Amino acid sequence: MALLSPWLIGFFVFTLYPIVNSLYWSFTVKRYGQPARWVGLRNYDLLLGNDDLAKALGNTVYLAVFGLPIRIGIAVLAASLLARRRRGNGAYRLMFYVPSVVPAVASGALFFFLLKGGGPVSSLFELFGAEAPVWFGDPRWAKPALIMVGTWALGDVMLIFLAGLVDIPRSLYEAAELDGAGRWAKFRHVTLPMISPVTFFTVLTGLIGVLQSFDQAYVFSQGARRGRLTGEPDGSLLTYAMLQLRQFQDGRIGLASAMAWVLFLLTFAITMALLASRRRWVHTSVEGFG
Amino acid sequence: MTSRRVLMVIGRHAVLIGLAVMFAAPFLFMLLQSVMPLSQAKTTALYPDHFEWSNYSTVFDRIPLGGYVINTLKVCVLTVTGTVVSCVPVAYAFSHVRWKGRNAVFVLVLSTMMLPFQVLFVSQYQIFSTLGWLNSILPLTVPAFFADAFSIFLLRQFFLTLPTETLDAARVDGAGEFAVLRRVVMPMARPGIMAIAIFQFLFSWGDFFGPNIYLQDDDKLTLAVGLVRFNSDVARLGESNLTMAASVVFVLPLIVVFFFAQKVFIEGVTLTGTKG
Repeated sequence: MALLSPWLIGFFVFTLYPIVNSLYWSFTVKRYGQPARWVGLRNYDLLLGNDDLAKALGNTVYLAVFGLPIRIGIAVLAASLLARRRRGNGAYRLMFYVPSVVPAVASGALFFFLLKGGGPVSSLFELFGAEAPVWFGDPRWAKPALIMVGTWALGDVMLIFLAGLVDIPRSLYEAAELDGAGRWAKFRHVTLPMISPVTFFTVLTGLIGVLQSFDQAYVFSQGARRGRLTGEPDGSLLTYAMLQLRQFQDGRIGLASAMAWVLFLLTFAITMALLASRRRWVHTSVEGFG
Repeated sequence: MTSRRVLMVIGRHAVLIGLAVMFAAPFLFMLLQSVMPLSQAKTTALYPDHFEWSNYSTVFDRIPLGGYVINTLKVCVLTVTGTVVSCVPVAYAFSHVRWKGRNAVFVLVLSTMMLPFQVLFVSQYQIFSTLGWLNSILPLTVPAFFADAFSIFLLRQFFLTLPTETLDAARVDGAGEFAVLRRVVMPMARPGIMAIAIFQFLFSWGDFFGPNIYLQDDDKLTLAVGLVRFNSDVARLGESNLTMAASVVFVLPLIVVFFFAQKVFIEGVTLTGTKG
């Protein structure tokens, strides 16, 4: 028990107590330094009856539906090209991995620069005679911009897939070849099922990540707002966490707590749904993921 | 080689080189922009006519960048120390010590990873406010001394790969659990401990959310927060060259750390991913 004490104390002070506290506050009107006043479900009513929540959720779903498949798809492609030991592969791996070391705040600033009017990307568009979108002035384009940053930083996902690919026994491919399987058939019937536990893991952590993503969206909307670009990027980038921060900064603690709980319940529901779907598409003979 | 095979090899390299360009180009533009003269930075030019290295000193003049670096390093050193000191015994208790309810408690540890930090921070803020810790680095560093779930999980994976026989031999020789931990487990698990230290360092260096909430005074800010505030100021003036110079100062140490520690690092990512 002595060994366990750091975690135990931390669990009670920094996890369990805050959970109970914020659950209670979510049913109250509360400001710091003032006593909480019980209002029942009013905060939750307010949230569900408000456009902001629907908008934030819509944005989250957008990022998950378009962002995750691109991220995972490219990660699988890169990993499968690099799985075998070949000369030069080490250098490629490093290059693909480095962007994921860059903190969200910095990659946000970097892509803000890359995508702004007159920046490198818009020059590229001009090269092909097309007009570049106003990424941060237009709610429709701010989300693809976020997806781009996420795709750039896919190194950690690629590494996990690499580890999964290396573990696939060669004999499986040899057996498939004997059956006359081509390149695509091997990928479809050997590789994909064998890495399905890894895919499951990355989808799960990816979804939780999207639900809680904060830093990049904050940097984008901050830069756009202070930089006085056109439009209302706030409206397009409000992810759920940002909404909650606003409420927190306004001192509306009860409402902020209720939002956090809605977010938690959503995360929980999605995790459970994914776990339930696992049997249908995740190959269970593969060791590992519990 | 048949011509089909040659085509395959060419195709493979074409895809890889294409991807490599996509991944490397943002870094290249960042570096080029960071040394671009201001007159050019406001145009659509992509390549500077001369390298304006003084952009870097300008950034140091405009904001207390040196102070930000020191503040950030303080937070990093403390959180890394805290994480290692607290997670090693806990991970050991979850891997090589037998006790009743171990698996159930471990599931509890893992489930805290699923908890959005938003659920916790509103209330944690009040705790730190009551303690009078706002506008100091204490809210950012003290919790690190109480073992976080991710590091426990990662370290436990490393500990599980250690041979039980060696540990049992030490126990037969009469060593207590703390002695086994210090003299047998820790030397063998050095790569694992390095991995959690590096992950914690990267996280603390780049973290924005916590420092942005808890730190107010300009002389107390960490690099991440200082950078965001600086960027929103210079964005108005169109000085994207300065923004990029500041970003280089922010990101370069991380890339250096990564290159020196890539082996440990890659093992760490791989272990968190595949075995559970």
